Amino acid sequence: MTEGNKDSNNRLQKFTRKALKATIKGVLFYGIYFVLSMFLAPVSEIVPGFQQMIEVFVMVSIVLMIIGELTAGTIFHHFFNGAKALFVILYLLFALNGGIVDITVQNVNLIVDIRLFLAVAILLGLLGFAKSVLQAINFLNQKAEHVHF
Amino acid sequence: MRIPIRMISIATTFFWIFLIVFLVSAVYSAKDVRFDFGEPQISLTSDNKILLSLPITIDNKGYYNIGCFNVTMEILDKEGFVITRASTFIPVIEKDRQVMVTHNVTIDVNDLLHNSQDYLFNDTELEGHEIISIKLAEVIPVQASTNLSMPWGAPLYNFTLGRTEYVGFDRTYMTAIVPISFENHASFDLTGSIQMRMYNSTKTLVSEGQTTIEAPRNSEYQGYVRLNVPTIGITENGYFEVYFLTPLFEFGPLVIPYD
Repeated sequence: MTEGNKDSNNRLQKFTRKALKATIKGVLFYGIYFVLSMFLAPVSEIVPGFQQMIEVFVMVSIVLMIIGELTAGTIFHHFFNGAKALFVILYLLFALNGGIVDITVQNVNLIVDIRLFLAVAILLGLLGFAKSVLQAINFLNQKAEHVHF
Repeated sequence: MRIPIRMISIATTFFWIFLIVFLVSAVYSAKDVRFDFGEPQISLTSDNKILLSLPITIDNKGYYNIGCFNVTMEILDKEGFVITRASTFIPVIEKDRQVMVTHNVTIDVNDLLHNSQDYLFNDTELEGHEIISIKLAEVIPVQASTNLSMPWGAPLYNFTLGRTEYVGFDRTYMTAIVPISFENHASFDLTGSIQMRMYNSTKTLVSEGQTTIEAPRNSEYQGYVRLNVPTIGITENGYFEVYFLTPLFEFGPLVIPYD
């Protein structure tokens, strides 16, 4: 077996491992969503568009997660992680209407104030983003050290 | 740098799990909270106001306590003026507990008549604005509000004075009998008195008299007022001034011409 064939075999193995990891993560994430959606079913019946909102969120998160996993070991992995963190922040801000959810069911106007939840979620999102930035810096640092040696 | 990044990862994951599990369980447990509103009762207070009592039962079978339960009811007249506003507040409803509370709203009929005397004589509808607010798991504020329309039955519906009859002639005085009729459409019994003043065509007070009234809710009242009228003062036309004096309200004069 030539050196070139070995190299391509290694790459294929690595990619397969990444794809497997991404698949497992995606399935796990979807499983968690599936379990939680059962608990949120009563809300979906009352709030129109709630199910759709959650589904879009889960879908985009899974896509970003899979791309992030497939690009593991490159700088893009950290970019996608950062993008995921920013997506979570922006999506929550827009979808939850700034934390005040206003629903009208028949003659009853229902207002749910989840600003506290939103604030904590945004802080956690920012923390996730900061982590991605740190990881990217760390990755570049390590790469620079390797080049130096 | 790896250790701080790992620590941030662990902390973020832990807080995300905590936040999602808490929020989902709080929302899920809200379905096990039951609010039962009983039949509203109407009675009178010691200071003669209408008391509307609404029994509320809150059965908290959720996973968390409910905080700051507050019911506020506003009653507005046709023009949108607030006639009365009342709140009932319970600081905490613990889980697996049932709490019964009576939400009381008092209505001062005099305040109602301040804006329009229509409420005495015509059936109408009052606007009600009900706001219920709670804090799910003592953290997530939820507010539900609705508008209701409440029928208002006039206590002196179709108040009319009948044709005056003159009896008991003598040289100087005669007795005038003025028939009174109305329907009490209100949700309370009406007791009190009606005072009547008779004026002739020259706007001179000719006579005055009064009668007591007792009209249970949803009943028709028929009575009369007897007036001693000097024969010299009687003219073909004139007007009556009618005053209503009841524990619930005082109203007058209602001017009704006669011919």
